[in-house]
Amino acid sequence: MDRVARAVAGDRLDALQSRLEALEAEVQECRQLNIRLAEVTDLVEQLLLPMAARDEEQIAAAVEKYSRTI
Amino acid sequence: MASADAASGPVVTRVDDEGVQVAGGPDLVVDVVFDGRRIWSFWTVRDTVDGLAAWPAMLRRFLSGTTRLGVVEHVSGRVLFEEEVRLGKATGRIAVVDEHGRPLGIDKSNRITTTFDTRDADQTKPLLDSAERVLAALQAAGVDAFPAYGTLLGAVREQDFIGHDSDVDLGYVSRHTHPLDVIRESFRLQRHLREQGFAVDRYSAAAFKVDVREADGGVRGLDVFGGYFLDGQLYLMGEIGTPFEEEWIWPLGTCTLAGRTLPAPAVPERLLEATYGPSWRVPDPAFHFETPRSTHRRLNGWFRGSRVNRNDFDRRYSRLREQVPPLEPSALARHVLAEEGAPGLLVDVGAGRGGDALWFARQGIPVLALDYSHGAANGVRRVAGEEGLPLEIAWMNLHELRSVVAQAARVVRRTGPVVLMAHHLVDCTDQRGIEGLARFARMSLAGGGRLYADFDALLPGEGHVPPGPGWQPRPRDPGRVESILRSSGADIVHSTQLMEAEGSGPRQGSEAARPLARLVAQWRR
Repeated sequence: MDRVARAVAGDRLDALQSRLEALEAEVQECRQLNIRLAEVTDLVEQLLLPMAARDEEQIAAAVEKYSRTI
Repeated sequence: MASADAASGPVVTRVDDEGVQVAGGPDLVVDVVFDGRRIWSFWTVRDTVDGLAAWPAMLRRFLSGTTRLGVVEHVSGRVLFEEEVRLGKATGRIAVVDEHGRPLGIDKSNRITTTFDTRDADQTKPLLDSAERVLAALQAAGVDAFPAYGTLLGAVREQDFIGHDSDVDLGYVSRHTHPLDVIRESFRLQRHLREQGFAVDRYSAAAFKVDVREADGGVRGLDVFGGYFLDGQLYLMGEIGTPFEEEWIWPLGTCTLAGRTLPAPAVPERLLEATYGPSWRVPDPAFHFETPRSTHRRLNGWFRGSRVNRNDFDRRYSRLREQVPPLEPSALARHVLAEEGAPGLLVDVGAGRGGDALWFARQGIPVLALDYSHGAANGVRRVAGEEGLPLEIAWMNLHELRSVVAQAARVVRRTGPVVLMAHHLVDCTDQRGIEGLARFARMSLAGGGRLYADFDALLPGEGHVPPGPGWQPRPRDPGRVESILRSSGADIVHSTQLMEAEGSGPRQGSEAARPLARLVAQWRR
């Protein structure tokens, strides 16, 4: 079967295989952005509000609590 | 030999130090029993090579002595073999037990552990209590969780724990429909559980383990697997991706587990079929998942990737973590002290068991020891507490941005000069880990200070070194490492290669004959 396909399609099979692998890698790269973005969002949500309050004690407490609960 | 009739199924022809030799079909799952207690299970065709089911590696250290060895067909109870057998050289009875004498067996995930079939109601009660507490805590945090995987299977099929299982699995299906939101929800759940006092260890961005201490002192993990619906498919960490109806999950119903009423998916049979296939009602103590590649790729891409080499390190530390490591510091630690004197804070990144951290702290230097393997430095933590040393041991994973940023924020708030040290860290992680180290250094050294790192270096012209266990250093190209640090804004102020003194790193003896790269970097302010 492989031999027949190769005789008919020749190098195009290799090219398609190579494109498929590249596409799969690109899809995974996109999927992996979810974690990165979720981490940044979580950091902003948990730490930005105390920072915005400019209260030194609140900031210190927020940083300590964040480290402790991840 | 008490073998079964050859015409009616497989026969056991030999049991020796290599394993159990079987002949004939069909493929049946059998239990291997020592002195009346199940130790291991295998399929007579699927799990054998030329008829030999080799002893699992983790079982071999116990196999010296005599035992009444039985091979029993799991489903029918038919005895294929039962004889007094001697393995290895010892003469006593073979005892497959842990250091406290608790009986061990091989569970469905091929781990050697204390399985439920050796535990009585008094011992499983605290686990059920904990399961109920975790279920309640998850519900309070906004998700309706239920027993999943083997725990749900036991509850629906036997209204009890499955004997060859060893842990409690919980699952929940998020109401979110995007992986980003599912991950954020999982972070929030973990925070909620930590605030309730539970020890939580993350497996992935959508699953974690909650540790519970039981009556006999053992720590047992409750796994919590997150899932969600996407376009009519249910995805549940860590194995499920299948067409599924929401009405089969919600509204939750109930199931009975060892006398307790617990929540369950609306149609649990549907989830069990999706998990174990249509034959889920037939017990299989050696079940293997055959998760489609497409499901693995999706779950990996969305949720996994933060545990690089972590399992290998955990295994390596599991028997060492309560001990104090050798008191001799690494050559890098001596070098740091000679170059920097006593800094305001010494941060040991990838501190492992904490030997260097303890050495610095005993000289009065405040130390923050960071590692991603939970409890790796328990021995040092205990000693530091007893001696009142200025040593803090904390968790950080270079592959989890949140932990890198949060720990760096803590460090940068300290006053006084900061020095970072990374002994055999660069060669025990991957490129993303090195990038995480660079980010941590750039942030924590915003007020000044230097990073000292050492790692096994590739020899000139050497392109590939066969991988060993994940905890073993994998030589790196120093130029490549420097380039990663530079791209994060570092100046390399010192770069050298020297022959590592024997015993100063994880490699010892003849394997130490390889150059050790040492880098010192500082970040532009």
